[in-house]
This record gives sequence, C-alpha cells and structure tokens, in this order.
Amino acid sequence: MTTDESETRRRRARPHTRRRFLTAAGAAGAAALAGCSAERVDDGGDGGDGTGNETGDGDDADGSDGDDGDDETPTLTVATYTNFIDAPSVSPGEWLKEEFESRYDAELEWATPDNEVNYYVERAASGAGVDADLYVGLTTEDLVRVDEELDDDLFAEAGEIEGSGAVREGLQFDPFDRAVPFDTGYVSLVYDGTTMEAPETFDGLLDDEHAGALIAQNPGGSATGRAFLLHTISRFGDGGVASDGDGETVSGEDGDPDYDYLDYWADLQENDVRVLGTWDDAYAAWSEGEAPMVVSYSTDQVFADMEGQDLEKHQIRFLNDQAYANPEGMAVFADADEPDLARRFMSFMLEPDVQGEIAQRNVAFPATEGAELPSDYAELAQEPADPVTFTYDELQGSVDAWVEAWERQFAGN
Amino acid sequence: MTEADGDRAGRVSRLREGVESRALTALAVLTSAALVVAFYYPTATVLVEAVVVDGAVTLGVFAELLTDPFYFGEIARLFAGDSPIAVARALLSPDRRLGIVGFTAYQAVLSTVASVALGLPAAYLLARFEFPGRKTLRSLTIVPFVLPSIMVAVGFVATFGENGTLNAALTGIGLPLVDLMFTLEAVVIAHAFYNAPLVARVTTAAWESVDASAVETARSLGAGPVRAFVDVVAPQVYPAVLTGAALTFVFTFGTFPIVLALGGFQLATIEVFVYRLVRDLSYAEAAALAVVELAISLGVLLAYLRYEARNATSTRGARPLPRRSLVPSAPTLRELLPRAGLVAYVVVAGVVFLAPIASMVLASVTGGDGALTLDHYRFLIDRQQTGAAFQVRPWPAIRNSLAFATAATLLALPMGVVVAVLTTRRYRGRTLVDAAAMAPLAVSGIIVGLGLLRGLVFGVEIAGWRIAASGAVAIVVAHAVAGYPFVVRTVSPGLSGLDRSLVESARALGASRARVIRDVELPLVWPAVVAGAAFAFAVSIGEFTSTVVLATGADAYTMPVAIERFIGRRLGPATAMGVVLLVVTGLSFVVIERLGGEHRGL
Amino acid sequence: MDSEPAGGGVDGDDRGDAEGGGDGTDAPVAVELDGVTKRYGETAAVDDVSLRVREGEFFTLVGPSGCGKTTTLRLIAGFEEPTTGAVRFGGESVAGVPPEDRDVGVVFQSYALFPHMTVGENVAYGLNFADPPEGTTRDERVAELLELVDLPDAADRDPESLSGGQQQRIAMARALAPGPDVLLLDEPMSALDARLRERLRAQVKRIQSELGITTIYVTHDQEEALAVSDRVAVMNDGTPEQVAPPRTVYREPATRFVAKFVGDNNTFAGRVVDATADGELAVDVDGGDETLRVAVGSDEEGQDATATRSPDVGDRIDFCVRPEHLRVASADEVADETAVPAGENTLRATVASAEFLGETTRVTLDWGDRELLVRAVDPLDGAVTVGFDPADAHVIEVEKQ
Repeated sequence: MTTDESETRRRRARPHTRRRFLTAAGAAGAAALAGCSAERVDDGGDGGDGTGNETGDGDDADGSDGDDGDDETPTLTVATYTNFIDAPSVSPGEWLKEEFESRYDAELEWATPDNEVNYYVERAASGAGVDADLYVGLTTEDLVRVDEELDDDLFAEAGEIEGSGAVREGLQFDPFDRAVPFDTGYVSLVYDGTTMEAPETFDGLLDDEHAGALIAQNPGGSATGRAFLLHTISRFGDGGVASDGDGETVSGEDGDPDYDYLDYWADLQENDVRVLGTWDDAYAAWSEGEAPMVVSYSTDQVFADMEGQDLEKHQIRFLNDQAYANPEGMAVFADADEPDLARRFMSFMLEPDVQGEIAQRNVAFPATEGAELPSDYAELAQEPADPVTFTYDELQGSVDAWVEAWERQFAGN
Repeated sequence: MTEADGDRAGRVSRLREGVESRALTALAVLTSAALVVAFYYPTATVLVEAVVVDGAVTLGVFAELLTDPFYFGEIARLFAGDSPIAVARALLSPDRRLGIVGFTAYQAVLSTVASVALGLPAAYLLARFEFPGRKTLRSLTIVPFVLPSIMVAVGFVATFGENGTLNAALTGIGLPLVDLMFTLEAVVIAHAFYNAPLVARVTTAAWESVDASAVETARSLGAGPVRAFVDVVAPQVYPAVLTGAALTFVFTFGTFPIVLALGGFQLATIEVFVYRLVRDLSYAEAAALAVVELAISLGVLLAYLRYEARNATSTRGARPLPRRSLVPSAPTLRELLPRAGLVAYVVVAGVVFLAPIASMVLASVTGGDGALTLDHYRFLIDRQQTGAAFQVRPWPAIRNSLAFATAATLLALPMGVVVAVLTTRRYRGRTLVDAAAMAPLAVSGIIVGLGLLRGLVFGVEIAGWRIAASGAVAIVVAHAVAGYPFVVRTVSPGLSGLDRSLVESARALGASRARVIRDVELPLVWPAVVAGAAFAFAVSIGEFTSTVVLATGADAYTMPVAIERFIGRRLGPATAMGVVLLVVTGLSFVVIERLGGEHRGL
Repeated sequence: MDSEPAGGGVDGDDRGDAEGGGDGTDAPVAVELDGVTKRYGETAAVDDVSLRVREGEFFTLVGPSGCGKTTTLRLIAGFEEPTTGAVRFGGESVAGVPPEDRDVGVVFQSYALFPHMTVGENVAYGLNFADPPEGTTRDERVAELLELVDLPDAADRDPESLSGGQQQRIAMARALAPGPDVLLLDEPMSALDARLRERLRAQVKRIQSELGITTIYVTHDQEEALAVSDRVAVMNDGTPEQVAPPRTVYREPATRFVAKFVGDNNTFAGRVVDATADGELAVDVDGGDETLRVAVGSDEEGQDATATRSPDVGDRIDFCVRPEHLRVASADEVADETAVPAGENTLRATVASAEFLGETTRVTLDWGDRELLVRAVDPLDGAVTVGFDPADAHVIEVEKQ
C-alpha cells in the first residue's frame, strides 16, 4: 500500500471504523472488566460507577451502590484525605458514617483519592465531572490553589448551614463562604522533656545549645512543614519576596524590616536544622532520638497518653506563645448530585456531639463553641495563647513564591 | 513486488498457521497498545504541558528552566549564552554551583559507584562459591528492591542513627561514634541498599555464564589466575556490570522520598521539585523539569544500549566455571586472600543490608516502652477483623499484592519478550526504539501517576463517549508496563547472542516466528526469562504510585499501600506490615526461582 | 569494455539448460529465480539473477566468499525477500511466503542443532508442523532418518556430545524429516576437515540420489562443487557467470573468472592476426612476442559456444589452457624434435617454483613477466620448453572489433 490513492482511501475509512471499534470495545470492556467503563459524556454526571477512588463498602449485602433510583436511599459521596477515615490509631470516618446513616435516611460513601483536593481540580479541569458531593478537609491553601487553577468554581457557596453560627470566631477562612470549618489544629514543637528544655522563642532555636536539635519538614511536601514555614514568615516577615504578585509584603511581628524569614532560616540552617521530607520521616527520626525537637501537632500528648507513653517525652512548646493554626473546612462541590444532603451533612458535622467526636477521633480541636468534649481533653490537647494564621487574601499570590524562595535558599547547590 | 501475494494461500493448513504466524504481530500490537494506553499517552498528557501553556506552544518554560542557575548551576550560564570557556572555568573553581540537576546527577553517580562496589563482591561470592543456602540467599537479594522507602528510612535511622545499632557496636569495641544521618553518605548508602543487589544479580548471571574452557585456554597459554580474570572473565562480566550501573544511575537519578527522609532538604533532587510543583498544580514547570530528568535518564540508557548492541556476547552452551568451597582447601595466600576479602565484605554487607532489615523487624516487635511485644502484629489481626470495609486491611492487601504481581508478571513477560525480539533485529534506529521501550524506567513516577489519573481514571473522550479504566485490571496493566523493561533487559542480550541459524532452521522446519520463540529462543534464554519475571514481580509488589491512583477502593490496595496507611505516630504497625511484606516477598522469590530452576539471568 | 560471456548462457533462456543439461532436462522446474536482485543499501548482494533448478537436481552455487551465493540460498529459503524479481516454487511465486510455509529443508554451516533438545527431538522437530509420510509414525520417521545418516543410535544423545561430522549428519536428517520439496545446504561442510568432508559429501550425494530430492548446495569449494553436482552455477559479484554441468564448467569456462576459479588454469589474452579455414586462429598474445595457435569449434563436447560468434581477424580474444594440457620439456630436450610434436604451440619459460602434490607436481613457470601453471611428473629446473595442442585451448571471450 504505497500509492497515494490507497492512502487516501484508508484515511477516509478510518474515523468510521475507529468509532465503531471503540464503542464496541467500550461496551464490552465495561461489561467484562471491572473498572473499565465507557459512558456517554452528555448523559449528565450521573454515572460515577467504579471510576475514581470511591471507597464505599461496595461489597455490602444490600448492593445499593448505585445512585440511580429516585425512591432508593440517596448516597452521599464524601471526599476526604485518607487519615480521616483510615489511620492506625483513631479516625472519625467510621463513626461519622454510622452516625450519619443512622440519623438520616442516606448512605455515606467515602472517597479518598490519593491526590486529595487536587484530584477534583484535575477532574474538573479535564471535564471528567466531579464524582463526589462534598470535600471534607479543605485548608486555606487548598482554596487558594483551587481558585488559582480553575476558572469556574469547584465548590459552591455553603449557604444556610444549620449550626454554622456556632463556629468559633477567627476560624472562618473562606472569604467566599464556601468552606465551613469543622475542626482546627495547631502546628507547634514537640520535644523530649527528658533530655532538654525547648527554647521559648524562635530566636532561642538559634542558640548554640540547640544546634542540630530541631527536625522540621519540607514545606513543599508536608502540611506541618508548610505551617512552620508560614509561622516563621508571620514572625519575621517575607522580605517582599512575593511582592511582584500583588505588591503586598508581610512585615514580621519581630518588627525588624531588615530581618525576614529567609534570614531566619539561614540562621536555622546554620544551626543545623534538619528538614526532612514528610511528617512521617521527621517523627520517626525524632522518635529514634536523632534530635530532641520536631515540628508536629499540639495534640501530641493525646496520642502519647493513648499509647501509655511517658508524657515527659512528649512535651509541647509554643514558640513565642504562638502556633500556626490550620483550620479544616468542608465544602459542597458545585456540581454535587446531592447538594441538599451534602449541606445536611455539613450541619451534622457541626452538631455539638459530632464536633466532640471529630475532635477526639481526628485528634484536633472542635470548630464550634459548645462542642461536647471530655473535661480533661484540654489537659492533653494544648492550644496556644496566640494562634497565628494567614488569611486567604494573604496567601493568595504569595504562598508559592514564599515556598520557592525558601527552597532556593535552603537547597541551593 | 508485482506477483500476487499469497499464491499458496489455498492450502488448507494455512488458516491455523496463519493465526499462529500472526501471533507475534498480534502480541506486538497488544504490547504497543498497553504501552500507549497505560504509559505513553497518560505521560504525554502531562509532559506536553511543558510546551503548551494556555493552549499556545511555547519554549519559554524550558528557556527559563535551562537558564536558571538554581537548577543548572554554572551550566545555566551556557544556556544563557555565556562563553563556554568562562563556564568551564567556573566549573573548575572550588565554589562552583552544580544546581539541582547537577547535584542530582552527582549523587546518582556516587550512588552508582557505591552500588557497584557493594554489588560486585556479592556477585563474586554468589557466582564463584558454593555454600549451603546459596540459592536461597540469591533469591533473597531481590528483597531490598520491594521495600517502601519509609521502611528503609526506619531501618536506616535505627541502624545508622545517633543511637543506632552501628554506634552501639562501635561503642562496644571502643571506636568513636559516627554520625551518618542526614548526610549525603546516608543517602548514597541507602541507594546502594536498593541497587547493589540489582548489580549483584546481573553480574552473577554474567559471571556464571563465563565459559570455563575460555579461562582454561587462557591459563594454558600461560596466563596466571589474575591475568586470566582480567583478560577472559572481566570482559564478559563487564557488560553486565554496566547494565547494573546504568539501571542504578537511572533509578537513583529519579530518587525521591528516601533522599529527604535520610538526607534532608538541603540534598533535594530534581524529583523533589517535580513533586512539589505537581502538588502546587504548577504543571508547566513540573513537566519541563520532568522532561529534563527524562532526557538525562534516557541519554544514559541510550548510551548504555548502544554499548550493549555493540557488545552482544553469545550465551549458548557455555560450561560454567566450577564453584569453589568457602572453606579454603589449603592455607596458601591464594586460597586465603579472597576468602578474607569476602569475610570483610560480609561484615560490611551485614551492616548495610542486614542491619537495617533486622532493625525494621526489631521495630515491629518493640512497644512504645521499649519492651518486646507482639502488639503490632495484633494490630494487624485486629484491623483485619474489625476494620471497616473502606479501610485497608492486611489480608486483602497481601492477596491483592500477590494477585496483581502474578498477573502483572504474566503480562510483562510476553510484553518484554516481544519487545526484546523486536529490538534484537537489526534496523536503523533500533537503539532508539529500545530506549523508548525503556522509558517507563526513566519517567518521573509522580508524572506517571498524574498521567494515569488523567489518561486512565478520567479517561478519554472520543465521539461523545468517555472511555475510562481503573481498578484491578488497570493496576495490573500499569504494573506490567513498569516491570516489563526488566524482562526486555534480561532477555534481550541473550536473544541477540543466539545463533541466528537456530531460528532460521526452526522456521525452515515449518515453525512460525512465534513458535520459534516458544520452542527455541525462550528455552535457550530461560534463565533470563525467569530473572526478568522475578524483577517484574518485584516491581509490581513494590509499586505504590500507580496503585493508589488506579485503585477503585480499599479492595484494590496492596501491601505498600497498607504500610503507608499504617504509618502513624508509632511505627510499629507499619513495620509489622513491612515485615509481612518482607516475608511474603522473600517466600515468593524462593518459589519463583525454584520454579524457574537454577538460572543464569539477572 | 564490451566483453560478454561467450557461452554457457546464464540469461535464464532455455538454451543454457538445454546446452548445459545432460540430465533432468525434461523434469519440471522446481525452483526458479527470475531477475532476482537483493540490495542492502547501495550494494547489490545478488544482482539480477535468473536460474532454474529442475526437480531432483543437485544444483550447486559456487563462488568466492561475498559472491552472493548464500544470499541467493536465503532468498530461496525465504529468510530474505528479493528487492526486485521473483522466486518461484513449481511455477508459483513465493513472494511473502514465510520460510515455514515453503517446504524447504535447510542445513547451515553451523548445523544449528537445538542445544536444549536431544538428537531425536531435533530430528522430530519439523514433524510438529508436517505429518510423517503415510504409514509411518513420528518415532519411526526419526529412526528412519537417523538410519539414513548412519547414526541409528544417536536419538537420545545431546547434540553437543556429537562430533562436527555427526552434527552435520543430524542437521541433514532433521532437515529431511518433514519431507521437504527442496533441500538447501549452506556450506554444510566447511567447518570439517578435508578427509571428513570428502566422505560426507559422498554421503550427501548418496542420500540425495536415493531420495531424489531437489537440492541446492552452496559452497566456496569448487572441487566439492564439481564432485557432487548435476549442475553448477559459478557466481561472482552477485551474478552467476556460468551455469552448466561440472564437466562443461571445467572444460569450457564461459568467462575469465570461471576459468580461473574452477581448477588451475592458464589464461591468455591477445588479438587474432590470422584465421584459417579449418577453424584455427593465430593470436598475438599480449605482453610478449609469441603468436599462438588456437583451434575453435573442436572442443570435446563439439559444442563450443564461441562457434556461433567465431572470432575474425582483428578481434581480441581470451582463451585458456589447463595445466594438464601443457607439455613441458627441459630446455636441453628442445633439440629433440619429439619433445614438442609438430603443429603444437611452443613457449619458452623458466621454472619459478614447484609444489609436490604426490601424484604430480604443480610447477609455476615464469613466462616473460607472466606465469604459467603446468603439471609435471618429474622434477623440473631451469629453462623449459612448454607446448600445447591448439585444440586444447578454449576460447573464453571474444571482443569484436
């Protein structure tokens, strides 16, 4: 087949054959192979069958997995991060599912895609349709990133959520009222009180006696690492590294305009701070005694107590009496199949008893006033006198530049 | 050709033979399809973002990257138009900047050297000495390959850390403490932990296939044992060492979690930045960086493949050198010296390979209070019994790992064999095809993961239909794609070394091309096939990124996912699962290699 | 240069077969190459070859290495496809037909026995794809073939335990087992020592004539070619220069190359200065003063192809005289008229070197600044006189003026 004529003929024939093949292959594939699917794009986003990372209990006997019937129990697909439903110690996922299903005539399905929120950004960007109803576990930075990436809104406005009035002041982090906070946590230092006394201030970390004593995490790959970096920016200012974006600069609380977070990190690095990849790496190294201090959560003693460990080895230090606050929110996806049910779930999440359970099982702090918690919870789960956090507006257009400038300084080879 | 094709098509038996004779073509088409669907297309959807920004084609991202001294150090000035002489002078100066790319290559070279240095003595031991448990030891050498980085990190901290086993031992014998953690050395040793076994396996295979008569000939011509080694053995072993070195370079060049876990961010490699950029949805920069990474890795592979193509050695019908006993036959220097060397090596290997694994095992039976406990294993059983359906449970993870690995191996084998057959033929651009077939080894794992999400999970919209794939089948295909390059690399040298007339004789006797592969070529390179299968199995068992992307639920999770899930404040549960992974993998390999027989492959 | 082969036509015309025939002339054509060219890049390994091999014929491709003979065989076997031209089996094109469907048996120089199979399994391999002859089982067929190659007890042995000659015979048995239409042998003996080669080639010839199988044999050894073949194609630079029975090729080489390649020979070039009515030419030989007489049309076969284009005065011709047709006498004997019979050509030369071969001695003579090869029984030395009968000279090529 080398003549032009046959080439033309083949080309003309191709689209037709190709389409027929794919239709057939798609149909056969969907029938024969678990997880292979072909669905009409203009069907509406109704068929979330099998694609994505839905981790519902599909092997339940009732088999009412699909959400295609009107008179059947509606299924609410809640996307979240894996630790929320599956952690070796405790996680709220199982309790929430059972409780929600018992209170409402609905079935709850968890979805925990590996890429977390980014998974839905990708889905929306590639036109694949978002196959979940709401996301639980959004941070301010998530929202900033999502909004920078997508032209259309991924999340809908929360609207009237019963109980949202109880959310504590200062936790609301979404200026566009999509995300409703359901818990919060603080990133602080955890140190082994049997070997040292941690410094009380950022400056104290630079003391010679604390050389090589701190393990932190990569701000580009770990939430605690990023929170700690942001905390140093709040403390020392950003030196204007992100000013090309919006002309804003963060001036540090230290009041010294000539000393910014990069200067502080240069001093920290000089003092042998270890910046490892993830919280897992860092906490493991700290547990093995590689260094006496680690950047972690202020709830560390809750775990230590749960495991019967010596609390003296799990001391919390709020530098300058501060800790970086990471409120977690939930928001309904703009094209949720069950928006009303999703909002009912959000109210459910804010109920006092549920708030208490979430806080205990997620080892965090409730987002609302009046959450039902054991009276001794505050003894182990410590809150700083002065929580620090950047707002959506402050992070927008800046956070990438802050991280990058830090990377370039810290890893410059 | 003007004569009508298939004049003889009238023969009755043609139909059956026709099917058979097209088997190879069919396999090649299926292999290409699998590669396109589960690798090239998904990866391309991401990499293309390096040059297509907001719908317009641009080289701006690359230009910015290449001229950025942060990434390219002094070389960036070259891209920026500085004179090569000035750049060369800067490179020679003591305060030169390597840039992230330069540093990544630098640590990969160091890691490769360390892996070869630690792998060769093991090959010597395994290829030239007979001792009880040799075959089992050989089978177990693949185990480090499948360990998740967090497990290795745990083992390393416990071994090389300030309060680690090594320091305890050093203190015990009155030597000064070493502080290896968070240094380049720790990273290099960890890379050797992963890759020295690879070098050892490849080299052992080549060493075992050195023909004894060649050595005897050299000796009879007056060469001493050392000279005979240098002149006869070394040239035959050298290509295999290079295979191991090339693969090690590529793997360590793309290294990611282990560098940060054991070295820290000041030792960040390219992949660290690819990861961060992808996480921040900065796809253009991530893709451009990944392309640079891929280009360098493929360049190394290409150089190696050109070398391999020029140095194909025949593997047929060699009489292997007899193995020696570990017990010296006479107290002569020549008998004692190599064995003394091996003893020294075994001590080093004990520290580098065994101690971290032993530490991991120990961590799995150590409680929060430091006492021995089986709590962590009880956790596994408990999680199995009471875990929610949407949670990862140990037994399904084990079952899935084994099932996926078996299926992926069965798929990777024909894929690898077909590609090996196609790349053993002589034609222009063959090494390019071969290098492209090796690309799954060289592309950033993070990019592949994102690509699979876009290309498979979300699917492709064609004519109003969205074709998507996820779940077990997709995982198996993705694992097979990741593992098949090993089959190619193990099988290809053997195939190209085969006497072409063996194939032609069989064909003249009536066997189709596919049938010849089955009847003649594969049996003759069987050891390599088994070796390739072992690696494909190992790759599947250890795979994490595509598994979590493609899994449709807890039902499709594997052992590495379970380990990751069980990591918490306490390392016990995860290490217990890690030990399960170790045991399951170790047993699998002993079985695979017993099934495959004593082999001479990787 | 406008020289052309003078005879033993190779242009695929029937005349070549008819003239060169002598056997199987009437048998149908088993294998035909029609204008076959095989190029690798710019170079043509096989250049416009046309050949016909008759059923049952033992046909040999002979030539120096690189002449294209093995490529020709591989084109027939189907391991290569021609760049242009057609290969036909029984009159039908086999273009695109893979080797496994061509019903050919191939024996390679390296024997290519499958090392992972026993001898018996090797021989039986082809029976996976073709049924043994009716009335025989697979095992019987294997035994039959091992018997045929005189290795009846080798079935369970490992091929690598066999000697080279034995391996060669097993390879032959394996190739024959499925009962191929055509047997292709690619230098099957070149790895063996001379004596074994002689014995084996007799065996190959015996088996071939017993089975009556069409056989195409490739060798670089012209002696082997002459010894076993019904017809020989002498190849040079990708083209057969002469296709004819061994005797013809030897006695009436069609080209200067054939004359030199097949057996020892003395070739001369010169210009015809006189032609007599009885077909004798007087030729002024290049590079010397001598005029030699050459008889045309009186070759033994009586079919000198040059007769059809007899040279005229002024034409340039090439001719040759076999060493055994040169009579040598020491210079002392020249006075003795009987040493060189009347009517013969007489040359004067000196002995340069001699190789004692047992029966005879091959003597190289310096004749002017050229060399002559002669056979002698007695030792020779110094100046000699060489004579030959004009009728023993064979005209190879004629260049018309």
